[in-house]
Amino acid sequence: MKKVLALSFLLSFTGVLFGQSSPQLNFDEANNSLEKGNYREALKRYRQIEENDFISGELFLNMGIASVQIDSLGLAKFYFLQASKFESTQQSADRALDFVNSQFSRQSAKLPKLPWDRAVDHLKITPGTFGLFVIGYCFVCLAILLIIAGWFNLIKLPKQKNIIISCFTVAVLIISLAYYVDYVDQRYDEAVLIADQSTVSVSPTENAELISMAYEGYDLTIDRKKSATQENWYYIRLGNGQFGWIEAKGIKIL
Amino acid sequence: MIKTGNKLAILFFLLISLFANSMVLAQEVTVQATLSENNIFEGESVQLDIAISGTALNSLERPEIPSISGLRYLPNRTISGSNYTYVNGKPSLTQSYGFQFIAQTPGSYTVPSIKVTVNGKDFTTKPIAFKVLDPKTIDNGNAERAPDIYVRLEPSTTDPVVGQQVVADVVLYFKSEIDVSNYNTVPGWKAEGFWKEELNNPAQARTTSVIINGIRYKRARLLQYALFPTKAGELTLSPYTLTVRIRNTRRTARDPFNFSFGQENKELKTLPVTLTVGRPPAIENAEYIGAVGDFEIERTIKPNSAYVGESIEIITEIKGSGNLPLLNKPEYDFPESLELYNPQENTVITRDNRLIAGSKVFTDIIIARNDGRYSIPEKRLAAFNPDKGEYEYFTLPELTFEAKIDPNATVTSLEDMRLDIEPVIGLVQWKQKSQTYLRERSSIWVMVFVPFLIFMGAFGYKSYNDKLNNDSGFARSTRAKDKAMEILEEAKNSVDIKEGYHKIQKALSQFIADKLNLPIAGVSGQSLITEIQKKSVDNSVVMEAKRIFDKCETIAYAPNISQEGLEDDVDKTKQLIKDLGKVL
Repeated sequence: MKKVLALSFLLSFTGVLFGQSSPQLNFDEANNSLEKGNYREALKRYRQIEENDFISGELFLNMGIASVQIDSLGLAKFYFLQASKFESTQQSADRALDFVNSQFSRQSAKLPKLPWDRAVDHLKITPGTFGLFVIGYCFVCLAILLIIAGWFNLIKLPKQKNIIISCFTVAVLIISLAYYVDYVDQRYDEAVLIADQSTVSVSPTENAELISMAYEGYDLTIDRKKSATQENWYYIRLGNGQFGWIEAKGIKIL
Repeated sequence: MIKTGNKLAILFFLLISLFANSMVLAQEVTVQATLSENNIFEGESVQLDIAISGTALNSLERPEIPSISGLRYLPNRTISGSNYTYVNGKPSLTQSYGFQFIAQTPGSYTVPSIKVTVNGKDFTTKPIAFKVLDPKTIDNGNAERAPDIYVRLEPSTTDPVVGQQVVADVVLYFKSEIDVSNYNTVPGWKAEGFWKEELNNPAQARTTSVIINGIRYKRARLLQYALFPTKAGELTLSPYTLTVRIRNTRRTARDPFNFSFGQENKELKTLPVTLTVGRPPAIENAEYIGAVGDFEIERTIKPNSAYVGESIEIITEIKGSGNLPLLNKPEYDFPESLELYNPQENTVITRDNRLIAGSKVFTDIIIARNDGRYSIPEKRLAAFNPDKGEYEYFTLPELTFEAKIDPNATVTSLEDMRLDIEPVIGLVQWKQKSQTYLRERSSIWVMVFVPFLIFMGAFGYKSYNDKLNNDSGFARSTRAKDKAMEILEEAKNSVDIKEGYHKIQKALSQFIADKLNLPIAGVSGQSLITEIQKKSVDNSVVMEAKRIFDKCETIAYAPNISQEGLEDDVDKTKQLIKDLGKVL
């Protein structure tokens, strides 16, 4: 009996261990290919890791480097943007992005984001929508605890009623903000055009009136809600503030 | 002008010209005669000017004035003068004579050719036709009603095509007794529907004489604009406004001390002028770049051989006169493998001689990213020539160039273009790729319900507690079972059997009284039975309660009582209390 238990424990531990080392193993093999100059092979192996739902800043950084080597600058930009979201690779990714952006023959004008949009972007990362919700939730709990403590005379604070109302108000505001940030995050996606060029038109048809041309490396913002109404088309906003429809092929969503 | 008789000056200039040109054998001489007015009223004076120009006037005889029909010569009023200038680095001397006449008899006449002998050679002037008008034909009322001064906008054509140059003159008309000392334009004139360009104007407006409706006016062209219609249809030039400072010589005659009587500022406006703008005719198999005028178009490539990555310029030069600033860049079919940069354009225009002329250069900048031979196909462009009323076609020949890889520059350029970020090799902290939105997280709902449940529980407990403390009936009912069970435990442990049954009776009575909120004192078992019967309690339960009450009351007379019997009845009472507790 003891032997059976030990064996099953060992098996389960090995399973856990294998699960942990598998992306690392693939990553090491992909790195070997990258060092030998087999960039496409390296990229293929990196993609396998990503397809297995394992990600890291280092993975995206190396994918970007491999993409630069195969002269796919739009794809490289996409991976470097992904890598810049990780603290460990943010600095290198930003430098690589400067390089990649300088290599595009067509540069897109980019309007600065509004302060409110910048704040929402920041909140999306730190503390994140869930973190924001938890902060609001803590205020709700505090308010409830104060009410209950007041009922049973456990705590007596000066202006306890005002404190409770304030806690509730703050909680409602923070939770509403968390849901707004979540809504924005869910509705809009940042994307990069990796195709050489694509047309942006007023309606999602091939012969529609042209608004602008989009070229490799252009940053796009996709409106998911509007895009859901059309298959294979995205409703986008270009960096210069123009809106229009673009074909979904050749677009990588961050 | 030097007055007649100033012979010393004439001699001085003649000597200079004689000396300076003593070595010149071949000398060009021109002789020209002009009449100051071609339509003259009878009795008006008129001047016949004869100008003799040449690089050297070694010997010059004063022209002999023949008899001119319709005019009477005034010999004592002849004037003469000379002017010495350099034209294209060559000296030029002009000797002029002004002969005064009085118009005599109405009719049409001609000033005959006049012979002038210069440097021993004879030259003749061209005949000049003129009319002497009868002053009786002038309607005096009409003349008085006619304005002393007015301004008109006079376009060179009233039916141009889109893009054609129209010269619009701002012309001032004023009577001879009016002196115009200066004028100022009022800014803000808009020529809607036209692209407007001001032409170079002479520093001082030259006046000519015209007769309008039998009245003599002086005519001065003050300003001139080149207008280019940008759309077809009827386009109206809005009134042009200017202010003039004038003096009426008739009134100043009454101003012997020059107190500026008769001087005034006057604002004048032109009448609106409507132009009917047409469209150029249809075009044949060529690209129309909006050119209307007289143009020449050329296309060149510079250089026609370059290294990969070097820029190559395709230069399209359009020269001539017309709507140069409005020309569009021709579109060329560049091979897809070329990188295109923003084209440049440069326009140089002149505004002289009542024309917008010059050149416009479009420069397309292309870069070959790969080596090879590239060609830009032939292109046919069209420009509309309004003078000919047809298109002129220009075929720009095919351009080719070769892009080579620069062997020396390769290493450097690759170094420059290298990404100096090293890949990360080694252990990496992995993260599961997951993005769950707030609404999709089940933990959120748990988190929301937990404080809600705690709150509701606390509220319920608080309400219960409050009722327990404030409602005696509820408190009795709630505690009735515990109390009864406590008494029954005492009964079970009682040594005295009678005492035990007394406690059973007490426990049951108190339980029912507490449950039904009845006074405990003075209530008989029978009345309690009646009360529970009212509550629709099951009959077996009522009977059991009645049995226990009866047994407790008659225990003193019971023959066979034992401790076991008491314990059994205690248990039965406990069960009865439980049953009653469910319904009461």
